[in-house]
Amino acid sequence: MARSFHLEIIATDRIFYKGECEHLVVTAIDGLVGIMAGHEPVVTTLPTGELKYMVDGKWRYAAISGGFIQVMPESSIILADNCELPEEIDIKRAQEARERAQERLRQKQSIKEYYQTQAALNRAINRLKVSKKHFK
Amino acid sequence: MANIREIRERIGSIKQILKITNAMYLMSSSKLKKARKSLEDTEPYFYKLQETIDSILEHTPHTRQFYFDRRTGIAEENRKKGYIVITADKGLCGSYNHNVLRFTEQELAAQSNLDNCKLFVMGQVGRIYFQNRRKDSVDSEFLYTTQNPTLYRAMEIAQLVISKFEDGELDEVYLIYTDMVNSNVMETRKLRLLPFERRHFGKAPDGTLKKLPKASFLPSPEVVMENIIPNYAKGVIYGAMVEAFCCEQQSRMTAMDAATNSAKDMIKELSLLYNRARQAAITQEITEVCGGAQSISD
Repeated sequence: MARSFHLEIIATDRIFYKGECEHLVVTAIDGLVGIMAGHEPVVTTLPTGELKYMVDGKWRYAAISGGFIQVMPESSIILADNCELPEEIDIKRAQEARERAQERLRQKQSIKEYYQTQAALNRAINRLKVSKKHFK
Repeated sequence: MANIREIRERIGSIKQILKITNAMYLMSSSKLKKARKSLEDTEPYFYKLQETIDSILEHTPHTRQFYFDRRTGIAEENRKKGYIVITADKGLCGSYNHNVLRFTEQELAAQSNLDNCKLFVMGQVGRIYFQNRRKDSVDSEFLYTTQNPTLYRAMEIAQLVISKFEDGELDEVYLIYTDMVNSNVMETRKLRLLPFERRHFGKAPDGTLKKLPKASFLPSPEVVMENIIPNYAKGVIYGAMVEAFCCEQQSRMTAMDAATNSAKDMIKELSLLYNRARQAAITQEITEVCGGAQSISD
């Protein structure tokens, strides 16, 4: 078994995961980042994306939207706006959110509104992707 | 002796009001429960956020950060200050609103140049108050409710003030809200949101600075900070919103409880009066009947 490190994933509304983890893969701004025990200290931001971490040799998946990660050699902390398991995702709601966002993107909007809509669309698409991939 | 009908009507109207105050009491106590729960749910996040930012800052050698820039070049009377004031959407909550408004007034009175102060008022009560008094300093497009604080709302507010700070429209941003010290003690507070202070983030509980190796930032410290600081501002605003909402419900609960009790006391007193008046009327009638009978038999 690989050496494990302490991982905390904290969303704004709850503690998502707290415990040992052997391998962590997060989506950073410029691509995937894999983290194992003894990683050099790193701080990076996480956009909306997918997250996976290995506990007892099994991969676990989650959809994460916005946040950042602080990596230390023996522990890592992820602070996220929102974090969900694939089976927690309400597909219908995500689909509706996607359609709503797409509809709004067709309208003329201010730059700020445009970014907000785009972020909403990203979140919805990410939710759908994660739930489709890992939850049948 | 008061009119019997008048007293009866008065008791009736007090009973109606009692129903309302009692219902409001129950509503605010259930809302308080909900607000407390959301406060508890989010607390770990904010403590961790504070801790993490703290340790990140310790690992960053350069403090010449945009969000830490105090803009000392600008003279005191030219500094543009923004105040986010959190009040309730309605009254009927004791001195809760009054305390916030008075605190804000005091704060404004201490300023050397009122024209450079901008008010961002959350909640109807405060907005109406300041719109009548200081029309020029209230941002009329800042329309947010304080009911059921959400992270989304906090994010919008954070984005707004940060963009104003970036554009130089504001040099300092403060947050005025009510903090719940414990369930009986509330305190109106002022918190500086921008620019950030280092000591703002506090030190470890034992006062020692953790000596850890320097962390690297991906892709660059600037990008990371740019993402984290709005996150932090959002967290602070959300925390203040939840605290204020808890306080509002708590004060409304206390106020409505007092109102219900005093309504009950009034009903008690009035029913005593009513019974007395009724008894007096009956006695009088009997006396009249007896008097009449006596005069006939005589």
